[in-house]
Amino acid sequence: MNYTITLKVNGRTVQRDVPAHLTLLEFIRSGLQLTGTKHGCGNGECGACTVIMDGKAVRACLILAVEANGCAVETIEGLVESPLAPFAGELPGAVTGTGHSHPEINGASPVGEGVGAGLHPIQRAFLAKGAVQCGFCTPGMIMAAKALYDRNPNPDRAAVVEALGGHLCRCTGYQPIIDAVLAVQTE
Amino acid sequence: MTYQTVGQSVARLDGIEKVTGEAVFVDDISLPGMLHARVLRSQRAHALITGLDVSEAMAQPGVVAVVTGRGLPRRIGACIQDMYPMAVDRVRYVGEPVAVVVAENPHQAHHALASIKVSYQDLAVVTDPWEASRPGAPQIHPDQAVYHRLPGIHPLPGSNIFHRLQVCRGNTADAFREAFLVVENRYWHPSIYHVQLEPHGAIATYHQKGGLTMYASSQAPYVVRHVICELLGLPPGRVRVIVPYVGGGFGGKSDHTIEPLLAWVARHVPGRPVKLVLTREEMACGTVIGRGALVHYRSAVSQDGMLLGVEAEVFLNGGGYGDFAVNIVTAAGISATGPYQVPNIKITAHGVYTNTPPTGACRGYGHPEVHWACERQMDIIAARLGMSPVEIRLKNALGPGKVNAIGQQMESHNGRVDLCIQQVVDALGGPECFLPRTNPCVGSIALEPGGIEADPLPHPTGANASPKAEPSGACAKPAAMPGKVRGKGIAALMKCPIMPTNAQSGAIIKLEEDGGVMVSVGAIEMGQGCHTVLAQIAAEALSLPLERVQVAPQVDTFHSPYEWQTVASHTTWAVGNAIRLAAAQLCDKITRAAAVILQVPAERLEVVGGRVQDRERPERYLTLQQLARGYTDARGTALSAPLIGEGNFVPQGLSHLDPETGQGNIAADWTFACQGAEVEVDTRTGEVTVLRLVSAMDVGKVINPVLAEGQIYGAAVQAMGAAICEGIVFDREGRIRNPSLTDYKVPGVEDMPELQALFVETPEESGPYGARGLGEHGAVCVPPAIANAIQQATGLEFFDLPVTAEKIIRAQQKRGVPA
Ligand code: FES
Ligand code: FES
Repeated sequence: MNYTITLKVNGRTVQRDVPAHLTLLEFIRSGLQLTGTKHGCGNGECGACTVIMDGKAVRACLILAVEANGCAVETIEGLVESPLAPFAGELPGAVTGTGHSHPEINGASPVGEGVGAGLHPIQRAFLAKGAVQCGFCTPGMIMAAKALYDRNPNPDRAAVVEALGGHLCRCTGYQPIIDAVLAVQTE
Repeated sequence: MTYQTVGQSVARLDGIEKVTGEAVFVDDISLPGMLHARVLRSQRAHALITGLDVSEAMAQPGVVAVVTGRGLPRRIGACIQDMYPMAVDRVRYVGEPVAVVVAENPHQAHHALASIKVSYQDLAVVTDPWEASRPGAPQIHPDQAVYHRLPGIHPLPGSNIFHRLQVCRGNTADAFREAFLVVENRYWHPSIYHVQLEPHGAIATYHQKGGLTMYASSQAPYVVRHVICELLGLPPGRVRVIVPYVGGGFGGKSDHTIEPLLAWVARHVPGRPVKLVLTREEMACGTVIGRGALVHYRSAVSQDGMLLGVEAEVFLNGGGYGDFAVNIVTAAGISATGPYQVPNIKITAHGVYTNTPPTGACRGYGHPEVHWACERQMDIIAARLGMSPVEIRLKNALGPGKVNAIGQQMESHNGRVDLCIQQVVDALGGPECFLPRTNPCVGSIALEPGGIEADPLPHPTGANASPKAEPSGACAKPAAMPGKVRGKGIAALMKCPIMPTNAQSGAIIKLEEDGGVMVSVGAIEMGQGCHTVLAQIAAEALSLPLERVQVAPQVDTFHSPYEWQTVASHTTWAVGNAIRLAAAQLCDKITRAAAVILQVPAERLEVVGGRVQDRERPERYLTLQQLARGYTDARGTALSAPLIGEGNFVPQGLSHLDPETGQGNIAADWTFACQGAEVEVDTRTGEVTVLRLVSAMDVGKVINPVLAEGQIYGAAVQAMGAAICEGIVFDREGRIRNPSLTDYKVPGVEDMPELQALFVETPEESGPYGARGLGEHGAVCVPPAIANAIQQATGLEFFDLPVTAEKIIRAQQKRGVPA
């Protein structure tokens, strides 16, 4: 049994027919080919699939696509502030956009002025604080942090820990992630 | 020595892809015409398959093929060929693949699984490595004598022991006879999951012309290729393994896991790609698990605290198949004496088949298992002698001129565990925090309560009370709340990579037309930051600014140079060395080409800052850009060809261990470290809060401090899970009781201690710019450091992991302290 759903994804309206059992995560990843949102467990246990739905951080694997009908969904792909002018165009010379530099992490590096200029401050903070290793938890962590900042522009450590509660990261030991989220407001 | 790029915390090369969601992992890849596979797994831990009927499943909607083990040509394995990629006539653990459905979409494949009919004849089940090693245990591989295996593997025919390693030095009988004190205990480290956030996945296409292409979330594309070639009878040039970004490995994606299975499945649907991505539940039983070791440890000590002898027996759970665990047994055997010099040693490490999922590499690789024993033992010995746990460690520490368990003499460049210990002790508040426990035992023989005569094996009794230290002075920190007690503990470690004696690492550096370079390596970026560190090494070696260096992010066996596998914390060291060799060759080619063009002898030319210039007259130079595609003179005649440097590295002078004594040169380098913990224990609930984890590590030259710290933080928190909350629980039938992340708790953001990473930088002679490995080491000693801290806080001795609240409460009740 298929249903027609209409929703906003990263500001754009999409309309699709989806089977009743399809999760929002499957819809985003397979239906819309937005693969930045990750599937870590499918059971609501890891947070890798976190997206923002009508302003709240939700686990897309626990929501059916039909439940998102009429909602506004933000995914990691929607976060970059100037998505059409990513990085390479703004770079001097022949340096390509894989971005070695982040001033905070490497004050000395002259690499690619403007690299990552379109990034959201949370994304920049993650790079600056070494909060990314394998990167599989990262989109979910960043979306949870975004939802936090959207409702509380001055979170303290306890608020950050609460917002990231239940988000697993097996690489970083969390400390750099907490530091990154806290560092956003000082930007 | 000053460096331009080495030693800097440059940002990761892959950072922007990963914060934007652009980084591609296996499950993000879709290929045209792609099919989806789901696996029917055995629900029996040990049984003969008496019937398998897939006809009904074949008829389900969308199903393209149902593949079984029927017709599998041969067993596979890198060390012991003891497994088929899926069950043929017998299953040896719950979760072993029995049939695979291939369908147009994953839902159809999943639904068809229910229509497969399997009948079994059950056999007796054993999940404990010690029980499985006893005579009369159910035989899991009755025909193991005929399996093909590499030299240096010593099975015990007619038993479940697939490998036994002995390490012998001196004469332990005399040492134990003459000892002032003998301490004997039994320690248990349960099996654990790696919990990589990215589940294992692969996509394979069997080509109609013969040959196979596979995308895999793997640390070991060359091992995968080798095994698939053997299984399907294909030459290496026909099997292509491509590894995109990997979402965490921790050893659990090394060697081979689901890849040979998927290759066999793809063989049945030529021309169509098949994707298999495991569910989180399948991650518990469908790949490899880690650890699972019983260590029986006896120490002979002199009155002044010198270790005179160690006798240890290790029983490592190999699970249903032992191929992946062989070298873990070796690692555990050779490192069981920890970072100490012990003159008389007798260690026997056994790898034992059981009916659990196979044990594979897991961050630390044999070392955490034996350090759990060795480093608890050191604290207990110190207490018996009325010595400080710091002093006893410093007294016995390995260092320049001392000899390790396998007879290798330490040189000054090998690193300083004593400095690491001192740094951790200072960070935790100084030596006064580690006073000797009061009222030590002065008897000459003490069989500890965790000893062999206690409960039925394998599980030690858990805990027993002994005197606790009374911290004073600066350390006498009052606990935050009544009913809460605090303690501090340390543990030291030594870890070496265990690798084939000819483990290969290659690097290719191509000079690009803008004068920058593209570096290709076979090392996998799985989050550890190796591509960034390798780019820094290349930039340094070529005297180029870092933004001129790219590292090809995907490893592809068609193009990337050889790499044994990305394991053993050896990438910075081994691949870094390969890069330096490649850079040297490229510089040599550059200077020779420039010599012709500039009419200057090559010896007078140097490559610096993107130019090749005359040392004596630096105004005579060419840019690398001018040389990249071949230099042409005014008439358009080419005077040079495009330039590529290549470097290949194998460790120098390694040899197999002596089969009788375990002596030999198997370790290429060591990393020494010390870790410390401060904990708070709630005596009413038993709950342990880890307040601080401090690690000091002699990693040689730190190439990138932020990435190095990141490795240590991550490893320490992972190991904190093993210390206080993680452990796989098997029931009598061999079923896993806690396969989900709800039932198997790993540390979360709310459990975070304060983390600290300190570096001692004794330059490693054999490493690039003096660097040595550090990826796994932070996971080795956290459990004993935490348990030693819990001892200081509560007076309770624990011998089996994890030290849960429940065990603490039980131990307190046993001691008679009101809860
Ligand atoms: S994939 Fe949704 S919480 Fe893990
Ligand atoms: S960075 Fe790997 S799981 Fe968080």
